Amino acid sequence: MRNSQVSQSGYLTRFYLRRDWLPIGLWLLGIVGLMGAAAGKFDGIYGTQSALASIVTTLKSPAMVSLFGPFIAKAPYTPAAVYAAEMMVFMGLIVAMMAIYFAVRNTRTEEDNGILELVRAHAVGKQSPLIAATLELLIINLMVGVLSALALQGAGMTGSNTTGDWLFGLGLAAFGFMFGTFSLLMSQLASNSRGATSLSYLVLGALYIARMLTDVQNTDATWWTVYGWIEKLAIYGKNNWLPIVLMLLLAIAVLGVTFFASAKRDVTAGLLPSRPGRQRASRLLAGPFSLVFRLERTSLIIWMIGLFVLGVSYGSIFGTVGDLMKANPVMAKVLGTAAVNVANRTVILNFAATLAIIFAVVGSIPAMITVLKLNSDERKGWLEQLHAKHVSRARLYSSYVVVALINGIMALFLGVLGMAVAGTASMTHPLTITRILRAFVGYLPALLVVLGITAVLVGLLPRLQALSWVVPIYGVFSLYLGGLFDLPKWAKQLTPYGWVNRVPLSRIQWGTFWWMTGLAVILLLIGYYGYAHRDLLEN
Amino acid sequence: MANTVLEIKHLQKKFGKFQALKDITFDVKEGEVFGFIGPNGAGKSTTIRVLLGILRGTGGKATIFGQDVWRDSVKIHARLAYVPGDVYLWPNLSGGEIIDLFLKLNQQKHTAKTDALIKQFELDPTKKARTYSKGNRQKVALIAAFSTDADFYIFDEPTSGLDPLMEEIFQQNVLALKKQGKSILLSSHILSEVERMCDRIGIIRDGRIIETGTLDDMRHLTRTVITVKTQENLADFAQLPGVHNFKIDERTTNKASFAVDSESIGAIMVALAPRQIVSLQSTPPTLEDLFLRYYNRDQEVSDHAK
Repeated sequence: MRNSQVSQSGYLTRFYLRRDWLPIGLWLLGIVGLMGAAAGKFDGIYGTQSALASIVTTLKSPAMVSLFGPFIAKAPYTPAAVYAAEMMVFMGLIVAMMAIYFAVRNTRTEEDNGILELVRAHAVGKQSPLIAATLELLIINLMVGVLSALALQGAGMTGSNTTGDWLFGLGLAAFGFMFGTFSLLMSQLASNSRGATSLSYLVLGALYIARMLTDVQNTDATWWTVYGWIEKLAIYGKNNWLPIVLMLLLAIAVLGVTFFASAKRDVTAGLLPSRPGRQRASRLLAGPFSLVFRLERTSLIIWMIGLFVLGVSYGSIFGTVGDLMKANPVMAKVLGTAAVNVANRTVILNFAATLAIIFAVVGSIPAMITVLKLNSDERKGWLEQLHAKHVSRARLYSSYVVVALINGIMALFLGVLGMAVAGTASMTHPLTITRILRAFVGYLPALLVVLGITAVLVGLLPRLQALSWVVPIYGVFSLYLGGLFDLPKWAKQLTPYGWVNRVPLSRIQWGTFWWMTGLAVILLLIGYYGYAHRDLLEN
Repeated sequence: MANTVLEIKHLQKKFGKFQALKDITFDVKEGEVFGFIGPNGAGKSTTIRVLLGILRGTGGKATIFGQDVWRDSVKIHARLAYVPGDVYLWPNLSGGEIIDLFLKLNQQKHTAKTDALIKQFELDPTKKARTYSKGNRQKVALIAAFSTDADFYIFDEPTSGLDPLMEEIFQQNVLALKKQGKSILLSSHILSEVERMCDRIGIIRDGRIIETGTLDDMRHLTRTVITVKTQENLADFAQLPGVHNFKIDERTTNKASFAVDSESIGAIMVALAPRQIVSLQSTPPTLEDLFLRYYNRDQEVSDHAK
């Protein structure tokens, strides 16, 4: 009997791997390429002791600790130690995102599409599809780990060692696999793939923020944040294998719960209960706009709360970040209190400017998702009847775009506002909230242009619309890490986020603001033109 | 002569290199129920999607209410109701909400008729669409369409997921619309349904309309099956022109069954009379026979072509 639960798992695993070869290849190429390319450059960028000393000072500042994790290596510093400090938390984020993608794709999405039902109707064990999804996750993460380790060995940075290279690779693999199992569990709890993805990102976001807060205040507490385990590997330093054991133990425990939940529930049902709906539509649900708004309502609220919480979390460490006297008491004596206060504010404003990019990129995500839904909802067949009604394509298009605008603008605004409110509250000599809100006004046009680029793809090249994700992903990479990698200026300006100056430190450049906004409007119109003049997608 | 509601002339649609619609020509008159039949993949749904302005035709012309289906789609849709073959609904809205939304989008109100339809079709409108079966999703679309006061109704295989009782209710509602003088385009696989309700029929195959007309018109084009018992021998009938599939009943003497071309039926009757008929049964061709004949004829043609 036991056997019948798992039959054909191996075949399904091979089938999943074969079917997913393209996304697997792209993720592998992206992750391993990034790791290897960065490792290859590090000896060049941080070859001198003075370069090393200055980057270490930067990395030890609370602002950088909040973004990248604490710098724990001891002098004499090596490029490898800097590499580990800069890359670990960030790469952890990337592999976790990859794991969420594959975990949801092979479980809840299959179920939503009705494919799971077909598979289960064959001589396939009840748990086999889930086992296959788990094995696929394990294999993909192992590939990431092994290839990354080999890339690091190949790069051979000064100060690196074989143990550290493999610890880095396998640490990433275990970390990704662990977050994959979280997602598998969420796929059992939620009643559709969208819900499973949102829940997974909620967990990832919460753990990331928890790590940030403990890192800035008390690094020992980071052990409790799960996310922080990846820092505790102490790569190229003590090379600690314990966190990998912890990750695997937690993954196994979560898998146990997942398989238990999967055995308990019916196909296509979630464990979280679904309530009966309304008998009649509310007066507010009366047209395409209110329909799109209603459909996006829950995710809109989640994104807004998420961005606000992210803003508040970053803002709450402003006091620590801007306390230069604590970091360097000699400077305070030399400069005097007033000058130190000015310096403190500059540090904070610089930090806020970096964070603003993050809010702009993260705020773009819900806006882009909404615009992309114009096509994905179409593919699901939901819009077919709408087109047969007294609804023009212009109205439908503008409904999705306006809801997307609200989504993106509010998310960016609440992120910056959260940072401003918590930031001013945590500082002894606070900045004004309006000063920090410059970041919102400054980055707003960048968000609009990104939305415009997405709309153009949606309208003109619906089959390639997923390519629009390159814009925010490259944006994060070039602006978040670009400075540390010594990227040339033109490379940073490939993305619209790079066209904005360092607000709120600098003044808003109104010229840039207006031409970017104008460009966004033109892009949205081009997208509409394409959408209005082509065949709609069929499922 | 009644006004023409839908007019299609030599409509074509290409998807890349694939020519989905080669030559579609037919029309639907006011107050008429037009049956649109053809095998899977013949182009029924593609035709309908072009009519709705979802796809853009690559050749020919199609108008509804005299207006171009692509350019004036929104104006047309104000007076039109449509039920697709595969109904997909927003999973987190309830059936009741979706029905109301569909009505509001066409400036219609939720009336007593809507409630009556919900009751008639036995739909629980408070359930979320994700819990509905295919049949129940179809009911949502049907209820919204039937309670819409439109001039032209398009149904694309609307009963494929309904049980026989619900199918009957669907037919009653279509016949009620017909009584009110509404025009209807009904694409269907259920030939008895088409036979019962449609005034005229168009048969599509491989992206072409191969026949249009009333059922009676088409019957003339086909064969009647005759089973006859006579006093005298019938074996020589097999050679008569217009007689097909001649079969002698092995168990009964002088009993045979065969198919006769409509135009030869008079001559056959004349030939039969002197043989002293004991019993005679004639079965008019069903739509199914018609359909199969068209289907096979085309296949024969393509077989010969090889």
